[in-house]
Amino acid sequence: MSYLELQNVKKSFGAINALQGVDFQIGAGEAVGLMGDNGAGKSTLMKIIAGNVQPTSGQIFVDGEDTVFASPLDARKLGIEIVYQDLALCDNLTAAANVFLGRELQAGFGQFHKLRHAAMNRRAAELFAELKSETRPHDLVEQMSGGQRQAVALARTRLSDPKLVLLDEPTAAISVRQVAEVLARIAQLRDTGHAVILVSHRMGDVFEVCDRVAVLRRGRKIADKPIGDTSLEEVTGLITGALEEA
Amino acid sequence: MLSDKRISILIDNMIWIILLVVFTFFVFQSEHFLTERNISNILTAAAVLGVLVIGQTFVLISGNFDLSTESTLGLAALMGLWLIVPAGAPTFGGGVFLNPYLSIAATLATGAAIGYVIGVLITFGRMHNFIVTLAVLLIIRGFMLAFSEGAPVNGFNNPDADVFYWLGHQTAFVLPGLGKITVAVVATGLLFLIGHFILKHHRFGRELYAIGGNRDAAEAMGINTERRIRQVYMISGLLAALAGWMLAGRVVSIQSNLGEGFIFTVFAGAVIGGVSLQGGRGTMLGALGGVLLLSTIDRGLNLMHVSVFWVKVIQGLIILIAMFLDAQRARLSELNLSKAIEKSKESG
Repeated sequence: MSYLELQNVKKSFGAINALQGVDFQIGAGEAVGLMGDNGAGKSTLMKIIAGNVQPTSGQIFVDGEDTVFASPLDARKLGIEIVYQDLALCDNLTAAANVFLGRELQAGFGQFHKLRHAAMNRRAAELFAELKSETRPHDLVEQMSGGQRQAVALARTRLSDPKLVLLDEPTAAISVRQVAEVLARIAQLRDTGHAVILVSHRMGDVFEVCDRVAVLRRGRKIADKPIGDTSLEEVTGLITGALEEA
Repeated sequence: MLSDKRISILIDNMIWIILLVVFTFFVFQSEHFLTERNISNILTAAAVLGVLVIGQTFVLISGNFDLSTESTLGLAALMGLWLIVPAGAPTFGGGVFLNPYLSIAATLATGAAIGYVIGVLITFGRMHNFIVTLAVLLIIRGFMLAFSEGAPVNGFNNPDADVFYWLGHQTAFVLPGLGKITVAVVATGLLFLIGHFILKHHRFGRELYAIGGNRDAAEAMGINTERRIRQVYMISGLLAALAGWMLAGRVVSIQSNLGEGFIFTVFAGAVIGGVSLQGGRGTMLGALGGVLLLSTIDRGLNLMHVSVFWVKVIQGLIILIAMFLDAQRARLSELNLSKAIEKSKESG
């Protein structure tokens, strides 16, 4: 059974139909590349899955249950984590504060609780070490390199043991060495039974780590097939419109 | 040579060095400066300003402005006394003879309600915070003038006004070297401590920094940013009303223009203490330093018999310095970011 299933999902922003009835599914241990030109609806679809945006119509099933995400917290509770294209970091906060933003560790009772700074710093340091990043928990994000910022965003997805990880252009602003590390991380997630959706313009990345590729064009899904059954040329044709559909 | 990080720490804590220098300067300028009475006066004068600055600090850190607090302060003071004193001259009260505790509860609730309405207009109404709070400032000020017909409300010789005097005037205890410590000073000190705890050690404070730093990111992380913004305006309104209560107990006779122009000093206090107008930066302890500095300068110039006109010039200069420091902090942040991006490109 699929972990996540979308049925006829539509999303309109005023007169703009960003998604026009998209069906999509992904199961555990599967990595799917989501591709498409600018404005195809990739980011909107990711935001709907992550609970940032509510669909205009359509249904979302998680583990077979009809689900409505009122906020990103609802999606997180069901094991969905996302790394945004812009990384969604607060430059004025430390690395550890960014990792735990929205789910800080606290001590106390009721409304009377305080942040557990030491525990959060300790856990953040462990996560950065696992990611082989030199990022230090106390450092301000505004003083960090692109790779370190990426590590902070990735560390968020490791706070819990997510069932589905969404990565929106994770390799867009990092060095070659760091790209290899991110791809290795995606492969590791897939091999340990996690579902991964990778949005990327870099076709090579998708073909390297994904099992399937889905292509969106103008808000519609026009292809969804195993990587072994397609080619770089076909996907390029689908994205650009040279091919109508697969 | 100092690193950017050290320069940043230095700028953030500059307020305490400036305070020390200014304090020492006045000690040598006036023999009356380092007396218990004067220290007590500095602290008491800082109390009302401090309460307003605490509220403004929360608002500024969340990346917003609140220009309305000076008129909320005036309204709270006017309303508080008006509700408890007889009607007509010489008190110009409402003749309601409300229980003073109920009067205070009503003024605090009014302050919080004003703040909440501002928050609703900004979040639900999608209106700009600067314009909304400026409009509310003018509305309340006009309302105060129309309501009182320009006459002061006088709480003199009214036993019911004791609870106002208690917060504004009453001595809590005497400390050797510092003189009389009023209830107002103790209350303000406690509020600064609570504010410090909230900003530094509570999730609410952490979320305000996040909202002020990058509101989109805060939303993406599941923070209800609009709700938090309504809450900070409510806190700001509530504290402005509390400051009004405090001031009513000090000046006793409330003019309909009470607090006029105070907002500039409030902004100066917060910004010179390291709270950024760009949002997401600053501490409650820094803001406390800003308040103490302004109060020290005010009393020091007074003791040096500096003309009130020159005091205005100096206050203007202080605001300029505060803005300059804020701009330098923002420049440092941008510099850090571009250096990080460069570093990242080089490593790629």
